[in-house]
Amino acid sequence: MAALTQKKAFYISNAIKFILLLVCGFLLMVPFIWMISVGFSRTANVQMPFPPKLIPKDPSWFNFNIVFENGQIFRAYINSGIITVCSVILGVTSSLLGGYAFSKGKFKGKKVMFLIVLGTLMIPMEPRLIPMYEMFNKLGMLNTFWPLFLPALVNGFGIFLCKQYFDRLPDSLRESAQMDGASELGIFFKIYFPLTGPIAATLVILTFIWSWNDFVWPLVVLNDPNLQTIPLYLASFSQENGTSLGGLTMALATVSVVPIIILYLFLQRFIIQSIALSGLKE
Amino acid sequence: MRSKPNRTKAQSEIALGTLRPKRSSLIWYVFLAPAFLGILCFMVYPILESLRLSLFNSSGTGGTWAGLANYKTVLSSSEFWHSVYNTFYIGFFQMIITIPLGFIFASMINSVAFAKNFFKVIFFLPNVTAIVAAAMIFTFVLHPDMGILNYFLDKVGLPTPLWLSNPGTAKWAIILLGVWHWIGFVIIICLANLQAISPELYEASTIDGASGLQQWLFITIPNMMGTFAFLLITGWIGALQRFNEVYVIGGPTGSPNRSIQTVVAYIYEHGFTGFQFGIASAATYVLFVIILIFTMFNLKLTKMKL
Repeated sequence: MAALTQKKAFYISNAIKFILLLVCGFLLMVPFIWMISVGFSRTANVQMPFPPKLIPKDPSWFNFNIVFENGQIFRAYINSGIITVCSVILGVTSSLLGGYAFSKGKFKGKKVMFLIVLGTLMIPMEPRLIPMYEMFNKLGMLNTFWPLFLPALVNGFGIFLCKQYFDRLPDSLRESAQMDGASELGIFFKIYFPLTGPIAATLVILTFIWSWNDFVWPLVVLNDPNLQTIPLYLASFSQENGTSLGGLTMALATVSVVPIIILYLFLQRFIIQSIALSGLKE
Repeated sequence: MRSKPNRTKAQSEIALGTLRPKRSSLIWYVFLAPAFLGILCFMVYPILESLRLSLFNSSGTGGTWAGLANYKTVLSSSEFWHSVYNTFYIGFFQMIITIPLGFIFASMINSVAFAKNFFKVIFFLPNVTAIVAAAMIFTFVLHPDMGILNYFLDKVGLPTPLWLSNPGTAKWAIILLGVWHWIGFVIIICLANLQAISPELYEASTIDGASGLQQWLFITIPNMMGTFAFLLITGWIGALQRFNEVYVIGGPTGSPNRSIQTVVAYIYEHGFTGFQFGIASAATYVLFVIILIFTMFNLKLTKMKL
């Protein structure tokens, strides 16, 4: 009898939690659902559909056709893609190499240098904005992609993560290769690099998110509309039109957000793991 | 220079306990070259140059020595202090709402018997979208007459504020956006740490007859203090640098009526729309110091070890 009520209590408490989570999860999704719905409404550009409807009165591809015909969004995707890929390659390479040196290397100044790397985590972007702008201005690199991915070389958090990862890999691998007279670079690339899959994947994901969503720095460096990244294009569109042209704005938001959401749904396990790793206390 | 690498070589040989050909430790600097080249060009130089700029009357090239005049201008500017107030106001309420709420959701997801992963994915979804895109969507969601939020509020009989059209409520519009966007991150971090709490603690207390709520209050929450501290510290560092969404919604001056202009927006306004590099640099240094002091304060407050 007691077991039965316990079982009942278990089901009831689970049902309450489930329903509560379902309702709150739905509320969080409402802006996305509404975004897509309004994107399909042609009349929303003149008068937002009110009261809101899930399926618009006269669904049409009108807004999406305009967004695609204009083509700026494709260019923005390509620009964001180039910058993100270059940032990821630079950031991951420098983190793996740096983390490896701090984990396995023996050299003068190791402690101080590691402290400097950790110190970079404390330094925000804002004080560096103007000098970096001036620096790239003097180099004639404003309105190019160089200023956007070169700073990815500095990834204090990435180096920290890699060092911890390499710390867990045994030194015995190195020692036997050293016996055979392999060089340090050879040891890294032949023995340790093939083992870096999990941490490299995490770094790729974190750098991707960071670079894809980056806003202030590209805003400062790029003012050629042809070079705009996705966030820059969205921001300039939004500032130009404010709360007019609701249908077009939402179609544009849909086109820029939905591919990322689909990518996220495919990779969700890895993405969530990477984010969680960034916040796990030791 | 010559003798020192030799010594480290000797040390490493002793450590390895072998007598093999001597290896140079210089190679490690090659490994570190990319990172440190970056740190030199994009961290050390800009930070020092920014300090120099803040002491000069500058609008780009050259400039004349200004001493602390730029700092005086910034610190006596009511607009600057207003932006500091806005930044802290938005950050404070975003934090105090999102951390407890996110923790409660994480606890529910952690203990619900089915669809755990489904909820994890759904709640984290807003955080995956760029804040700029989210801000773009929210200008419509929060529209006083045609927005879906006020429609819902009206349906359940709650007052319908003007949100972004009124300086008095505009900050709350940003807070709402901040909560919506950040809560997924809080949930994921809380979930990861909830799962790291030793199950033995719960087993022991179940034998002692503790209820689920008692366990949550006396085992879970005390064990999550470190996580809350982490969220508070990283949350504040992010909040003090808030810019993207207020720029998209209110422009560099944070309209309406500067009610959502954050410190970084103030810096952007002076640095890149007014090209007053001296004043903007002084403001960035003030912000930098605020972040450092506030982070130290948070570390002390939460008794976290550096």
